[in-house]
Amino acid sequence: MKMFVLAMMDALKRLFANKGARMTMVVSILIYACLYPQPYRGEVVRDVPIVAVDQDGSTASREFLRRIHNSDSVDIIATVDGLPVAEAMFFDRQAYGVVIVPPSFEHDLLKGQNAPVAVYGDGGYFLIYGAFVAAANNAAQSLGAEIRQQRLTSAGLDTDTAQTLISPINQTSVALFNPQGGFGSYVVPAAFVLILQQTLLMGIAIMHAGQPARPGIQRVATPVAYILLYLVWIVVTQLALPAIYGIPWIGNLWTLFAVAVPFLIAVNAMGFALTHLIRNRESVVFFLVVQGMPLFFIAGVAWPMESIPWWIAWAAHIVPSTSAIDAFLRVDQMGASVQDVLSTIRLQLALAVGYWCIAYVLHDRQFPKGQGNHLKPADTQAP
Amino acid sequence: MAHPLPAGFWRVFRRELRRIQARPNLAFMLGPFPLFLMLLLSAVFSAGLPRNLSVAVVDNDGTSLSRQAIRMVDATPDVTVTLQLANLAEGKQAIIRGDVYAVILFPENMERDLLSARQPEVVTFYNNQLLTIGGIVSRATRQALSTFSAGVSVRVLTSNGLTQEAALEAIRPIPLQQSPLFNPALDYTQFLLAALMPTVLLIFISAGAALNVARDLQQHNGARNLVRLGGSALPALAGKLTPYLLAFLLTLIFGDAILFGYFDAPFQGSMLLHVAYSLLFIASSLCLGAFIATVAGDTVAALGMTGVMTGPAFGFAGISFPRIMMNNFAWAWGGFLPLIPYLQLRVDQVLRGTPIETSLPTLGWLALQMLVYGGLALLLLKRKASRPEPSKEAAT
Repeated sequence: MKMFVLAMMDALKRLFANKGARMTMVVSILIYACLYPQPYRGEVVRDVPIVAVDQDGSTASREFLRRIHNSDSVDIIATVDGLPVAEAMFFDRQAYGVVIVPPSFEHDLLKGQNAPVAVYGDGGYFLIYGAFVAAANNAAQSLGAEIRQQRLTSAGLDTDTAQTLISPINQTSVALFNPQGGFGSYVVPAAFVLILQQTLLMGIAIMHAGQPARPGIQRVATPVAYILLYLVWIVVTQLALPAIYGIPWIGNLWTLFAVAVPFLIAVNAMGFALTHLIRNRESVVFFLVVQGMPLFFIAGVAWPMESIPWWIAWAAHIVPSTSAIDAFLRVDQMGASVQDVLSTIRLQLALAVGYWCIAYVLHDRQFPKGQGNHLKPADTQAP
Repeated sequence: MAHPLPAGFWRVFRRELRRIQARPNLAFMLGPFPLFLMLLLSAVFSAGLPRNLSVAVVDNDGTSLSRQAIRMVDATPDVTVTLQLANLAEGKQAIIRGDVYAVILFPENMERDLLSARQPEVVTFYNNQLLTIGGIVSRATRQALSTFSAGVSVRVLTSNGLTQEAALEAIRPIPLQQSPLFNPALDYTQFLLAALMPTVLLIFISAGAALNVARDLQQHNGARNLVRLGGSALPALAGKLTPYLLAFLLTLIFGDAILFGYFDAPFQGSMLLHVAYSLLFIASSLCLGAFIATVAGDTVAALGMTGVMTGPAFGFAGISFPRIMMNNFAWAWGGFLPLIPYLQLRVDQVLRGTPIETSLPTLGWLALQMLVYGGLALLLLKRKASRPEPSKEAAT
């Protein structure tokens, strides 16, 4: 046991002595922790500047625009004459949306005819567009409801009946988890699962690519040491970061570890398998650096798994992060129990076994028995 | 034969081609691999917007009216009712497990309350942790239930003696014509893909340049040899990077071919400008990689620094969370990444058809990045080249 602890200490000592490994497995994670959440600190979209074209100039049109302006998400920065002016502001990125009230808005409204309001925006910037359309919709609905109520009461109905006729059922939407709808709360915890996986894989590549396995007890102690180091990072990124950045956390520490340990074992196994598949360490690192983005988008968080072609979704599960990101999110942000994420834990363990077998077989093929430990590393450095 | 070419751009260019040839591993990762990742991303989004997302219902009313509401929710293309549950606790569990994205609760006596005008409350609980999906699901259920509600209004009004037309008129809302002008079918997938492919490519380009420049520099007197072969620093660096410029230009064209060919994305602006900023984007990203390599000195550190710099780039681009909502630091940091002006120009020209004059400052921003990164890389390269290294046994 003491031997084992010493071997682990030794593995960590070697890690910290290697500049590349230290940069990857320690320094870069700290930089990511500071840098990555920055774009999302605002969490929600507020006061998006939009421009209005009021072709009616009536009390009703001004009231309608006032309601849009009073919403949290949108600010009307100017009311201009004519679409060309509005368009120029839009192209210039002074405004991110245009709302146009037609000439006979009030007149049509009072007569109960269609008075269509036009909203223009960039459909691709979905948060801005969604906030803008929602603000316009709410304004139209609340104003419309008042006008309808007036119509019905003037037709002789009492106010309560008119009210229930306009909306016979009350609709409420309740956001379970991430109640604020924060974008950082959505992206940051998920991204750090991937960041930990990629840095761990890179670190293993830097330390071990093309090398024979560590002798004796160190062969086991080294991955265990990495797992312990990364358990610290799990606590930092899944507990401390949410606390610092105000991201909701309703998880249970033991459940978190129940997911984290199998995940780290699987990533370690994959890392060692990779070092035998691609023996040149800079090639492995390059291979890993470019993969972060695609891996994030097939994890089912940014894009639902059901909408991804089945063969990609299936193949993606050979990478530990694919199922782990989802499981971490459920445990940390949604309070899932071990029971709820059991299938992921099982999958991680299966991946771990699979990758260890691959690593073992490839290792023995690359370094035939009896000469493995003193074999000169053939190609850790390309000329 | 010893020196078929005089020192200069072509000498370094030829040498770089030979080096790429000598390492099929690397050649694969610079050529076919980014193409593969682009195809993969295209395949991920090929199905278009998510459809038939699973929701559960808890029907405490159990009348024909509540069943009608459930049918209307189920009939919307965005969601499908996959589960009927007995109570809300089961519903919450189903959301946590990931079986469904939302649970709709129909109250007891809904039909009775509805007919006696007591405004029963229908509550949709949706998973907002998965923000995008939660948003789609909650919007779709709200719309379906509003349609249902409007139908009930008309029925009640006509039973109160109004004509069908008068009833319809009485409940008609102010119609809103939504025109996502620049993304006609609100095809968010196409837009996302058009932003993701350059992001992946930025990482490839910068990492490729960083790796290959650093490989020179970490050799004994590497900077000196490189500058000597090029005659001076500028042709040396240009000769070194041009093979990658050409390779990644092909990759970028391939990505555009997928978008405009397969996905049939519209193109609104100036083709000339499109070509210009595409080239500048690759050049800026290469210069960024070269600059990182001259700072880092060795390959692994160069790749690591490139990863830190370009890995989170997508978040700073403002495609997901808008740039105008960012804090000053995030906003400024994004200004250093070639991806940000490039994507802005792309949105301008491909989607919006922005007048060229309006786009020119952004083009200047991208060019400035290239000049700054390229200039710094040259400066550092010269400095390294001017100092002969004491001979060591071997390069580390």
